[in-house]
This record gives sequence, C-alpha cells and structure tokens, in this order.
Amino acid sequence: MHRPAERTDAQVVRDVLEGDRDAYRLLVRRYGDLLYAHALRMVGDADDAADLVQEAFVTGYMKLHTCRDRDRVGAWLFRILANRCKDFLRSRRRSWVPFDHAVAVPATGDGPEEAAARAEVGNRLRRALDRLTPEQREAFVLKHVDGRPYEEIAAVMDLSVAALKMRVHRARDALQGLLEEYR
Amino acid sequence: MNDELRRHLDGEIPRSGLDAELRSEAEAWERLLDRFRVEVSGGSPPPWLEQRVMAEIEALPAPGRLHRAVAWLVRPHPVRISPLTAGLAVAALVVVLLLPGGGRTPAPIGSAAPGQDSGQAARGGGPAAASAPNGARATPTVPVVYVQFVLEAPGARSVAVAGDFTGWDASQPLEDPDGDGVWTGRVAVRPGVHSYMFVIDGSKWVTDPHAKRYTADGFGNRNAVLAVAAPSA
Repeated sequence: MHRPAERTDAQVVRDVLEGDRDAYRLLVRRYGDLLYAHALRMVGDADDAADLVQEAFVTGYMKLHTCRDRDRVGAWLFRILANRCKDFLRSRRRSWVPFDHAVAVPATGDGPEEAAARAEVGNRLRRALDRLTPEQREAFVLKHVDGRPYEEIAAVMDLSVAALKMRVHRARDALQGLLEEYR
Repeated sequence: MNDELRRHLDGEIPRSGLDAELRSEAEAWERLLDRFRVEVSGGSPPPWLEQRVMAEIEALPAPGRLHRAVAWLVRPHPVRISPLTAGLAVAALVVVLLLPGGGRTPAPIGSAAPGQDSGQAARGGGPAAASAPNGARATPTVPVVYVQFVLEAPGARSVAVAGDFTGWDASQPLEDPDGDGVWTGRVAVRPGVHSYMFVIDGSKWVTDPHAKRYTADGFGNRNAVLAVAAPSA
C-alpha cells in the first residue's frame, strides 16, 4: 500500500475521481510552486497570480475526468493555467494600460539612488514585456526566463517547435530596443 | 536580426562560432536576458493558497460523476445471494412468465412519448429564454425541458454549458453562427433545480451574468441556478 506522499500522479487522479477529494491536495502541493511562478512571470502581480493559480486548480479539479494522460497531469494543469494567464493579459490589454509595477527593491547595501536606478531598470523591462502579445510573452518567459528547451515547451504547450521559435523570435525582435544599454 | 545570432540565442550555435561583431552583439543579448531573469522572478506561492483551493473544492460537486457511474457499471461486482433467496427469485420469475401476457415489454411510463414534444419554457431561471424545439427528441420515460442558454462573449472561440445536468462536463456547446458574439444553444434538462456555468474557449469558467439566482461556491465564485418546471401533461 502506498503512503500518500508516494502516490504517482496517475494514482492521485484515480483516487480523486473515485471520491477522495482530499487527494487533490497532493497535486496542489506538487505543482503549486511551478504554476505560481509561471503566473507571476506572466502577469507581474502577486495577487493576480494567486487568483489565476487558484482558478486553474479549481478548473482542473472540475475537469479532471477529461485528463487523458494522468501521468502528466502536471503538464495538463500547467496548460490550463497558461491559457488563463493569456486570457487575463488579453482582458487587461483591452481594459487598461498598466502603470509601472510596484517594485520591491532588495536590500543590497546600495544607496537610495542606486536602488532607484535598479528599480527603474526593472520597470523598463517589465513594461517592455507588457507590450508583447500574451503568446509572445509566454514563449519568451518559458524560453529565456525559465530557460526551458524548445522541445519541452512545445510538448507542454501542444505547439510545433517551429511555431514556438517564431513566437520567441518575434518577442526578441520586439525587445531589441532595450539592447542599447547592454552593449 | 542576423540569422546566425538568432540561432545562437536559440542554443544552436556556440558563441565561439560567431564572428567578432556578432559575438559582441550576442554578449549584449546575454546581458539583457540575464537581467530579465533577475527582474522577472517567479517567487513562491502564498502559504494560504493551498487552503483556499481546497476550501473551494470542498464546495464543488465531485468531478466526473458520470464518469464514475460508467466506471461502476463496467466494473465487475461480486453478488452475494443465499440459496433460499435465489430459489424464491426463480419461482417468482416462472410465475410471471406463465401469466397471460407475461414476458412482454411493458409500456413506457412517463409523460412524454417518443416523437412528442416534451419541452416547455422554464420559469424563473437564469437563461434568457426557454422553449421547446420542433420535433424535440424526448426520451420515452424521462420528461425533459429544452432550455435556451444565452451568453454574450465577443471574441470567444467556443462557449459551452456545464452544470450538474452534464456531470459538470462542458459537453453542451453553444453556437454563434452570425459571429455577433452572442452564443446560444438549447440543452435538454430534467425538471428540478440545477446549477451551471459557462465555459469559454474550453478553459475559462464564467458565471451567467443574467441568472436570477446564484449559489455561492466559496471565495467569491458563484454558480448560476436554474429552476426548471416539469412539463404539463
């Protein structure tokens, strides 16, 4: 008999579908960090990211019986979250132009001027990300911020590698204007 | 962007394979991408997130109830029966078969006959309208009401209804044939009080904004409530 911590994803999915609601907690624990990190990178706000992750997990629970590859339920949940994040960004683009993100400046011992300068750099980068389409932002974040290989991203997002590369290339082209100060 | 530089940034060519000018450009890109990695950090989820998810799930119906019912039906189940009970059952069957007319298929019980229209308008529910289609496909034994669901969702690629009457499966698609963003569809629903939501693009669950009643499912999310009256005889 397996202890809860040893259950595979497929076993957890089976248990949840057979009525063990609390087993779903294991999936929340296993994939909460991954989903939240992606949501935060996509939308840039901790509260929005938490709401999106919660919605993704609840949707995943309600549709769990439609998950065909139960051993890869983590990737399936990630896809639900990724789609939610893109929907969120689309609605945000329609409804408001983002102000500068609030930036928590880490205590590095820099003086206030250096800290402000670093905060401004961070703001500029995040504003540039806000100008990408949700699809370009997703591809760029997964490739260059998460550092995942194209093949892995393509498999999770159910895209061809060629289509994915095109999105990353377009994102980089759109960000080219930032390059001057890094030469 | 130069193709060689693009391939380098894609991880296909090492920096040493670039000429001096491109190598300088590649280094600038690498500094910029490093900066993105620092500034666009992921962070850890708040500690209350797990509890919030589980509390919301507690208020929801179990996933795939229909799926579980089918699984139960196809799974073998041991049946324990005493010899006395089995003998009495066989005797009762023999008596039924020997009666005049025994063994014939009984007439269906219910208010709707095949081919008849069993639909009616649902009153007081959230959907914008409810009516019976011509030639409604009613089952012979279970009265159903055809309820028309309407959702304004401009820009959606697909809209479906999911509720307790579909096992919370988004299996009832709505249609927007004229592309005006108003999605409609008729769904057969048994009389009673039902909860439902709309599912946009296969993953975004939204509450019917025009429902007359709602039920809270915890932490601000609501299911729309639909009351369907039984069809008149």
